[in-house]
Amino acid sequence: MIELKNVTRRFGLTTLAIKGLDLTVQDREFLVLYGPAGAGKSTTLKMIAGIVRPTSGDILRDGVSLLGVPPERRDMAMCFENYALYSHLSVFENLAFPLRARGVADREIQAKVTKIAETLGIPHLLERRPGFLSGGQRQRVALGRAIIRPASTYLLDEPIGHLDAKLRHRMRAELKGMARDLASTIVLTTTSSREALALGDRIAVLDQGVLQQLGTPEEIYHRPVNEFVASFVGEPPMSFLDATAEREGGQTALRLRSGHRLPVGPGWAAPLRDPTCRLGVRAAELSIADTADDRHAVPVTVDQVELLGHVRVVRLSLGQELVAVVVPPERQLAPGQPLWLAIDPARLHVFQDGRAVSHPAMPTVH
Amino acid sequence: MASIQAERLVKRYNPGAPPAVTGIDFEIADGEFVAILGPSGCGKSSTMRMIAGLETITEGTIRFDGKLVNEVRARERKVAMSFESYALYPTISVYENIAFPLRCRGESSVEIDRQVRQIAETMELAPLLGRRTKELSSGQAQRVGLARALIRRPTVFLLDEPISHLDTRQRYRMRQFIKSIHRDFRTTMIYVTHDQEEAMALADRIIVMSHGDIQQIGTPEEIYERPVNAFVAGFVGEPPINFIDGEVLVQDGEFHFATAGQSFLLPHKVQATPGRMRLAVRPAWLSLGSEADHHLRATHFVTERLQDHNILVVDVGRTRVTLLTDPTVVPQDGQNLYLRLDPDRILLYPPDRSQVAADDDDS
Repeated sequence: MIELKNVTRRFGLTTLAIKGLDLTVQDREFLVLYGPAGAGKSTTLKMIAGIVRPTSGDILRDGVSLLGVPPERRDMAMCFENYALYSHLSVFENLAFPLRARGVADREIQAKVTKIAETLGIPHLLERRPGFLSGGQRQRVALGRAIIRPASTYLLDEPIGHLDAKLRHRMRAELKGMARDLASTIVLTTTSSREALALGDRIAVLDQGVLQQLGTPEEIYHRPVNEFVASFVGEPPMSFLDATAEREGGQTALRLRSGHRLPVGPGWAAPLRDPTCRLGVRAAELSIADTADDRHAVPVTVDQVELLGHVRVVRLSLGQELVAVVVPPERQLAPGQPLWLAIDPARLHVFQDGRAVSHPAMPTVH
Repeated sequence: MASIQAERLVKRYNPGAPPAVTGIDFEIADGEFVAILGPSGCGKSSTMRMIAGLETITEGTIRFDGKLVNEVRARERKVAMSFESYALYPTISVYENIAFPLRCRGESSVEIDRQVRQIAETMELAPLLGRRTKELSSGQAQRVGLARALIRRPTVFLLDEPISHLDTRQRYRMRQFIKSIHRDFRTTMIYVTHDQEEAMALADRIIVMSHGDIQQIGTPEEIYERPVNAFVAGFVGEPPINFIDGEVLVQDGEFHFATAGQSFLLPHKVQATPGRMRLAVRPAWLSLGSEADHHLRATHFVTERLQDHNILVVDVGRTRVTLLTDPTVVPQDGQNLYLRLDPDRILLYPPDRSQVAADDDDS
C-alpha cells in the first residue's frame, strides 16, 4: 500500500503543481491518474517514483516513509514520457537491460524480449538504436522496458496515448490482462476518458493539482462529485442545462433557459438549497423523435452531427444551450432539422455551485 | 471561397528516392470540408503543402476555381494554415499573436479587440491573453496557433493536425468550434490528420492516403461501411476492425469460412473466391449468440467497461477480436463465448502476405 499524505509540490516560487494531496494506492490495484494537461498527474507519479521530491507532506509504503529511499531502491518499474532510452544500445538491449541487471539467463532474455517486442509491434526494430526511431516507437520501447521485468509497482506515464488506434487498443487489453495476471500494483496517467474507464480499478481525477474525486469507474461515471468530474468523464462529454425549480398548484417543474417546463415528481426539488441549479445529462440517456409525444416534449433543432463509427453524436440546440445525444449510425439527420427531445427527470444529475446535489439511480449489472 | 482540383500530382524530394506523392487526382468543391487521412509518411502533409504553395509541384497541376496555381506564390493564394509547428511570436503576448493578422490588415483597435476576445472565449484562451507564448503548454500554443489562423477568415483553410494532443473534453469542444466555423463562413476546409476519429467526425468527405497514393475517397459513411481495401478498413474505425485470417472453402456449392479449427457458412450475398482470405468485421458488427446459433467460438480475455457500453476482448484461436456490447454484459475470465456476425456486414479481402506465415493457425 502506498500512501500520499498531505503532499504538496511547488516548482519555483509561484507554481503549485500539487496541493495537499491525500491518496492511497492499494496493493495489486490498477489506479489511473486522470486529468487535463497541467493537472499534476505526472508530478504525482514522479513523486511516487522518487524522481521528484515533495515540497511538503509524506509518501509511505506499508507505513514506512519512502522519502529517504532513492528511486532505484523502490522496486518500481517506470516509463515516463521523456524517460530516456539508452541511446548507445539497440532496442533489443534497451529491452533486455532490466533483465541483464538482474542476472537473468540469456535464453530467457531472448524469449522475453521477443515476446514483448511482438506485443508492442516492434520485432522489426530490435537492432535499431533509439535515435533512429519515431516518437511512438520510442514510447513503445520505453513501455516494454518497464513491463518486461517483475516489479511490485509499475508507474506508467501516458504510456499509450500517442500510439495509433490499433496498437493502443492492443496495449490496453495487454495491460489489463497483465494487471489481472500479475500480483502487482499499476499506476498509470492519461488524458483519455476511455482509457481511464477501460483500465482503472479506481480512477483519481485531478485538476490543477487538486484531487477532485477518487473512485471506481462506476462511481466516477455515475456519481461525479462535481461538474468538473461530470464533464470530464465519459464520451461525448455530459451536457449541462441551467434550470430553475418552480412550484405551481402543488406541482413541481423545472424551467429551462429555453423557457420549456419539465414536470418532475413530488420531492424532486427537496435536496435543492435554492431553486436555481444545473442539470447534467449523459448523451446515452436522452432520446429523440421526429414528432412530439408524451415523452418527447422538448422542441430542439439539430446543430451538428458527427459520425463516430458505431454511433452518431448529435448536438441539439435547445434555445441558447447545446445538448449532445447519441443515435445509431443508420439515423440520418441534417443540421437545422427540428426534433423532439425526451428528458427523463429520473436520469438527471443535479449540480449547485458546481457541486453534485443528486444523481440518477445506478444501473443494475447482471 | 475556392474549389480545388489536383491532377496527376507528384512530389519528389530526392531524384533517386520514391516520390512522397505518386500522381494523385482529387477535386474539392467550393465550401466543402475534406479530410486527408493517413499514417505518418503517407504524403498527406506534402499534398497539403503543395496546395498551400509552400512546396513546389514536381509534376501535375493544382487549380483553384479552374485557374492554374502551380506558379502562384503562397501569400497570393489566400490560403490560411494552422501547422503542427505553429510558429508563434515568442516575445509578444497571446493577445498580440492572435491580433497580428488583423493588425496587418489595418483593422481598428475596437474591432480587433472584439474579434480577439470572441475567439479567445470560444477556444478557452481568455485567461491566457496576457501571457507570452513561450510560457504556454504545447496544447495551449496549439490553440493559439489555430485562433490566429481562424481570425483571418481565409478562402481556403488548411488545418494540419490541429487537435491531436488535446484531452477528451477539449477535442469535443474544438471539433464543435471548427465545425461551427465551417458552417458560419463556408470556407473550403482541408483537414490533414492521422486521427480517423477527427476525420470521420468533421469531414464531408475523406481522402485516405497511404504510401503517397490515394486509397479511397468517400463520405465518412462510405469509408466506414465499405472500405475498398484492408488498409482503409484497418485505419478507420475505433475500436479498430477485426481481421480474421482463414480460408474460403466450397462445400455442396456453398462458401464457408474456416479459421482456427472452425468454420461457418458465408451468406450468399458475400462475394467470395475459394482460397486464403482475410475476413474483416467491425466490433459493432459482432454480437454474442448461443451455442445453437453462432458463427465463431471464442474465449473471453478481458472486458473494458466504458459504462455506456462494454468492449469485450476475446480470442478466436490465436486471433484477438473485440466486440461492443451493452454495459450489462460482463463475461467471466476465460469463459467460452459464441460470436455472431451481421450477415449484411462481412468484408473479405485478399490475404496479407506478410502475415500469412505468422498468423497461420492450427486449422
